[in-house]
Amino acid sequence: MLGGLNTRVMMEYLPEIWQGFLATLFLSTVGFVGAMALGVLACALTIQPLRWLRAPAVIYVDTIRATPLLAQLYFLYFGLPRLGIVLPEMLIGIIALSLNSGAYMAEIIRSGILSIPRGQVEAGMSTGLSYMQRMRLIVLPQALRTTVSPLIGQAIVLVKDSSLLSLISVVELTRAGQRIAIDRFMPVEGLVATALGYLMLYYALKSAAGAWQARNSIPGRG
Amino acid sequence: MIEFSGVNKWFGSLHVLQDISLTVAKGEVVVVCGPSGSGKSTLIRCINGLEPFESGRLLVDGTDLSNRKALLKLRSEVGFVFQSFNLYPHKTALENVTLAPIHVRRLGRAQAEERGRALLEKVGLADKMGSYPHQLSGGQQQRVAIARSLCMQPKIMLFDEPTSALDPEMINEVLDVMVGLAREGMTMMVVTHEMGFARKVADRVIFMDRGAIVETAPPERFFTAPAHARTRDFLSKILQH
Repeated sequence: MLGGLNTRVMMEYLPEIWQGFLATLFLSTVGFVGAMALGVLACALTIQPLRWLRAPAVIYVDTIRATPLLAQLYFLYFGLPRLGIVLPEMLIGIIALSLNSGAYMAEIIRSGILSIPRGQVEAGMSTGLSYMQRMRLIVLPQALRTTVSPLIGQAIVLVKDSSLLSLISVVELTRAGQRIAIDRFMPVEGLVATALGYLMLYYALKSAAGAWQARNSIPGRG
Repeated sequence: MIEFSGVNKWFGSLHVLQDISLTVAKGEVVVVCGPSGSGKSTLIRCINGLEPFESGRLLVDGTDLSNRKALLKLRSEVGFVFQSFNLYPHKTALENVTLAPIHVRRLGRAQAEERGRALLEKVGLADKMGSYPHQLSGGQQQRVAIARSLCMQPKIMLFDEPTSALDPEMINEVLDVMVGLAREGMTMMVVTHEMGFARKVADRVIFMDRGAIVETAPPERFFTAPAHARTRDFLSKILQH
């Protein structure tokens, strides 16, 4: 299937592919930062005791997890203008990615926090540490260790999900690859070029996770 | 130092503390025993506010426990040692011990470490300062936990079955530390079934059953001439071997 791969055409489109790659890198990075911020906020709201603050966070997480990203993307793309909000496609895409991934991240962070045994929190309490100190010094450092792998997993999903933004005419890696298919009727060449780009991003994230874990492991325990 | 008057607590419909009135003086060592589910852990967990209660009054070192605002301050004066140690697994023994002094007492790191080292030496762990909890035996972990409480220089020490989770050969190393502490004049309340410990250092032994204090007596009288049938029944069960 890849036997007669036309590498000359692929090289010809390299500048476009490179531009797409950079766009995907940008969308994913900003999307990830936004998603982390939303995830931490939503998680903080779901684990605190006030019901009226918890409700909106729970509704947000449930709604996002229950519906497809494509539907969310179109909902913003066609819905926001009806509210009189006209934004560039790129920004809509970033908002959709952040909102989507943020909900999953909230759940990942929450499960990490809940995995810390209650006894450690009580030990912190009984030495006079405040709620914020217990979170900062005892709970979060450990929760972070257990959540890095699933969070990187979610980041990998986010990178691939950003390909859906091609559907609202954001030019990113997938869209750039489609150019080869459309201009030259060579869909396989386009897809291979695209796949190589995603593969690079995947390995970058994977090695970042590995490096982080090696640096932050508890000696003899991992 | 500790003064319960008419304290009641329910878990749903279960009346876990029934009209508790009890005074512990400064420097006193009080051992609390009783069958499981009798409310003895709940009793001492009330003293540093780990368990709220529904009615009655509890004064600890002059602070009314119903004042939730004063709770953090009070907790920093009351040490608590758990059955399951509850060390912070991501911190070394020394870091476990110095965490609260640095962040609650605002001691400088050097000063906190000096104090922490001295305490770890005192509990016989001079060579384990840099070890993580999972690298320590149960007895060693519990001694770190005791040092962690002592590093706050508490006025009261509470122990909730501190040796129940330990292998038999490690129980004495922990009890020795506690005996030393009692002899130094620390005010202590200890939930335990280690009757040897009670005989050696307790000023009073309290027997609880079904959420109520059934009997309070000095250890000699408690073990040789308990007044209540339920106490006798309990003692016969734990002392027969």
